[in-house]
Amino acid sequence: MAKQTRRQFIGTSVGGAVFAAGLARAQEAPAAMAIARWKGEPVMDEPTDVMAPKLARAALDAVGGMGRFVKKGDVVWIKPNMAWEQPPELAANTNPHLVAALVKMCLEAGAKTVKVGDNTCHDAKKSYVASGIEAAAKDAGAEVVYVDRDRFRSMKIGGEILKEIPVWPGMVESDLLISVPVAKHHGLSTVTLAMKNYMGVVESREKFHQNIPGCLADLTAFLKPRISVLDGIRILTANGPTGGDPKDVKRCNVVAASTDIIALDAFGAELLGYKPADISSIAAGVKLGLGEMDYRKLPAREIEVS
Amino acid sequence: MRALRRVSQGVFLALFTWLVLETGFSESPPQLLELFFDLDPLISLSTWLSARSLAAGSLLALLTLAATALLGRVFCGWICPLGTVHHIASRLRPKKRGRADAEGFSRWQRAKYFLLAALLVMSLFGGHWVGVFDPLSIMCRSLTTLAFPAAQYLVADGANAVYDADPRLGPLRLTLLTEPAYRFARDDVFRVNRQTFAGGLPVLAFFVLIVALNFVRPRFWCRYVCPLGGLLGLFSRRPALRLKNDKDACRNCGRCAKTCPAAAQPHEPGKWLPSECFVCWNCAAECRSDAVAFALESPLTPPAAGRVDLSRRATMAAGVGGVAALAGFRIAPETRGEQPFPSTLLRPPGARAEREFLQRCIQCGACMRVCPTNALHPSALEAGLEGLWTPRMVAKIGYCRQECTLCGQVCPTGAIEHLPLEEKKKVKVGLAAFDVSRCLPYAYGRECIVCEEHCPLSPKAIYVVPVEVTLRDGSKRVIKQPRVDADLCTGCGICEWSCLFQDQAAIRIYSANESRNAKNQPILPGPGIPPAAPPAEAAPPPAGPYGGGETTGAGNASPY
Repeated sequence: MAKQTRRQFIGTSVGGAVFAAGLARAQEAPAAMAIARWKGEPVMDEPTDVMAPKLARAALDAVGGMGRFVKKGDVVWIKPNMAWEQPPELAANTNPHLVAALVKMCLEAGAKTVKVGDNTCHDAKKSYVASGIEAAAKDAGAEVVYVDRDRFRSMKIGGEILKEIPVWPGMVESDLLISVPVAKHHGLSTVTLAMKNYMGVVESREKFHQNIPGCLADLTAFLKPRISVLDGIRILTANGPTGGDPKDVKRCNVVAASTDIIALDAFGAELLGYKPADISSIAAGVKLGLGEMDYRKLPAREIEVS
Repeated sequence: MRALRRVSQGVFLALFTWLVLETGFSESPPQLLELFFDLDPLISLSTWLSARSLAAGSLLALLTLAATALLGRVFCGWICPLGTVHHIASRLRPKKRGRADAEGFSRWQRAKYFLLAALLVMSLFGGHWVGVFDPLSIMCRSLTTLAFPAAQYLVADGANAVYDADPRLGPLRLTLLTEPAYRFARDDVFRVNRQTFAGGLPVLAFFVLIVALNFVRPRFWCRYVCPLGGLLGLFSRRPALRLKNDKDACRNCGRCAKTCPAAAQPHEPGKWLPSECFVCWNCAAECRSDAVAFALESPLTPPAAGRVDLSRRATMAAGVGGVAALAGFRIAPETRGEQPFPSTLLRPPGARAEREFLQRCIQCGACMRVCPTNALHPSALEAGLEGLWTPRMVAKIGYCRQECTLCGQVCPTGAIEHLPLEEKKKVKVGLAAFDVSRCLPYAYGRECIVCEEHCPLSPKAIYVVPVEVTLRDGSKRVIKQPRVDADLCTGCGICEWSCLFQDQAAIRIYSANESRNAKNQPILPGPGIPPAAPPAEAAPPPAGPYGGGETTGAGNASPY
C-alpha cells in the first residue's frame, strides 16, 4: 500500500469529520419513516396488549413523536380498519391495542378530542364490538363515533377520476386524520393498506373498484396524509379483506409509521410478499407525486423493540 | 275494577310492545316474548296438531286455559295486546246521537267458533294457518313490519329534514335539540338499523282493515273473528266468576248493555253469555243502581246465564271448510314438496324442510324483528298461499350474518331450529349465480369483484379467473372475472347485497342447493368435474380368465 500523502490525510480526516457531524445531525432529526420490530421469533398466540403500545411508541418517537403532528387543542381522528365483524385474532381489522396506544399518545400530545370511527362494510355496531376497537378506544379516552349514512356530505375533491364524492364531515374537518390500516391481502387490489384504508372516509364507494388505483390515488391526494401507521402485528395473507381462516394469519410483530403514505404501503406490500412496483395503487400514487416507493431511500429507520 | 282492567290492558300492551322492540337489538333476545307465545293455547294446540310435537314450554298454555275456565275470558279483556288496540279504537267511534239500542247477541258472533274449527281441523291435516289469525301473532308481525319501521322512518326523516335545512351558523340551532334526540332514538330505542319490509303492504292492509272494523261494531275482531277468543270462549261456558243481575235494583236503563263491548247481554238476567264476556267490568262500573255485579261462585253450580248455540252441522261444515282450504293451498307444487321449487323462496338457516316448516311457522315475525341485517321478510305468494307471511330472505335488502343464529333463537315454535353456530355455518340457504348480462367484468369490460371481497368463507366461494377482453377501441386487456364455486357457496347473500348494482344485483341467490330440501340440490358435492383421464400406456392389459398372472408379451393376452 502506498504511503498516504499529507493532502490525502487531511482530505479523509475532514471528510470523515463532516460525515460524522452529518451522521450525528441525522440521528437527531426525526425520520420520515420508522419500522419497529419486536425482538425474537413471533409466536402466534402471544398477547398484544404490551407489545402493541411499545411498538407504536418506538415507531412514532423515531419519526418525531406524536407531538410533531398533534398541536395542543387539536381534534384528531384515528381511522383504523374496523370495517368487518371479525375478532382481532383473524387480522381483518386493526389491532385494538395499537389503536388504544395511538389514542393515548395523541391525548398526551395535547389533543382536545381523539375520535375513532370508520364507515364499515358489515353492520357498524357488530363490527365496532367484534373488532375490540370500540372498547379499547373508549378505555383509552377516545370518543367512538358511529357514522350515519344520511350525514355524509358531498365534496368536490378535484381528482382525475373522482370529481365529487360523499365524505364523512367529522373525518375531513378534523385537525389530523391518521390512517391506521392492518396489512391484508385483497382480491382486487392485491393488498389493502393505508391508501385503501381511506375508503372508510367516504360513501358510494363500490364503483371505485372499476379503477381502484386511480380512485385511491385521487382520494389520498385529497386527504393529504401527514402521518400514517401500519399494523403489521398480525397480517392477513390470503382470502382478504374478510379473512376468516386462522391459517391465513401470519404473526409479524411489526408496526411502521410514516409521513410518506406511498413508502408505508410499499413496506406493507413487501410484508405481505409482493413487490411494491406490482401494486397498481402504489404505482398510481407515485404518478400523482404522493410519495416515494422505495422506502429504504427515505431512509426508513429500523428499530428493535423488546 | 274497571280502572284496574284498564291499567292491566295498558301494562300488557306496553310490555308486549317493549318485548318486541327489545327483540330487535339484542344479541340475547328476551325469552319473555317466547313466554307470551307459550301461554297462547291456540298456538300451542294447533302447532301440536300439525307438527305432532309439543315444545315443553307450550304446556304453559294450560295455565291460560285453567284461568279461563275459572274466570272467563279475562285474557281478552285484561291481557291481549291486540284486544287492547281494538278497545282503544272502539273508544274512538263517533258517539251516536239519540238513544242507541242496546246490542243483543248476534248470530255472527258464532263465526269465530267456526273459524276456530276450520283452523284446528286444518292443523290436524298438517296445514298451519293459525298464525294469520292469532292475535299475538298479528300483534308481533304488525309491530315488526309496520309500527316500528314507520316510527323509525318518521324519526329519521324528521331529524334529517331539520339537519339538511339547518345552515349550521350561529350558536342557536334547531339541530342542537334534534340531533341528540335523534341519536338517542336511533341508538337506545330502536337499536337496529332502519328496517324495511318487502311484502309489508298486505300485512298493513290486513291490520288496518281489522282495526277499522271497530267502527262497524265495537271490538269487531274479538267478537266475530278471533279464533283464540273462540277457544277461550269454549272454555268459559261455566266460569266461577259470574255476572249477577239484581232484578229489584235494576231500572232497565240499558246502560250496561250499551257499554258492553262484547255484546254479552249483561242487561238480561239469565241471558248473560259468559263465553262472549271479556270480564271488562264496564257493565258493573256503568250501572247507576248497583244492579250489576261480578261474584265468585262454585263452577259446579250451573250459571244463570245464556249459552251460545253452536249447531253441530255448522261446526262440521266449518271443519270441512278447513280441509277444503288446505286442499286449495296444496294445489301449488311448492307446498306439495314437488318441483318446480320456487327459486326466490330462501328460508333462514335452520328452517326445516318446507312441509315441516309450514306445520310450525306461526307467521309471528319475531325472526324478522331480530335479524340484525334485515334479511328476513314476510312472503306474499312466494311460498304459496299456505306460506303467507312466513319469513324468506331477500338478499338485496339483507344478507345472513356468518356468526349469527338469532332467528333460530327467537322462533317460538321451532320452525327455524336453533342450530349450534358451527352447524349453522354449514347450512346452505341457496346458491349464488352471476347475471353475466349485467356483471361488470362480463357485460361492460370493467373491473369490480366487490362480491368476491365480501364473501365470508375461507377459501371464498367466489374465485376469479383472468380473462382477456376486447375494449371498444379494439385494445385488449386482461381483467378478473368472478365465478361461483358451486360446492362451497352457502347462499348467505352478502354478494348480492354488496353488488354495486342497487336496482337488480348482478349476482343473485336462488334456492337451488338448499340443505333442507334434498330434491332441490342440483350440485354434486366435490369438484364437479371428473378427474382427467390417465395416459394410454399406463395401464397393463388385464389378466385373462384362465391362468392369469403375467402375459408373455404386450398384447399377447391369450386366455388359454
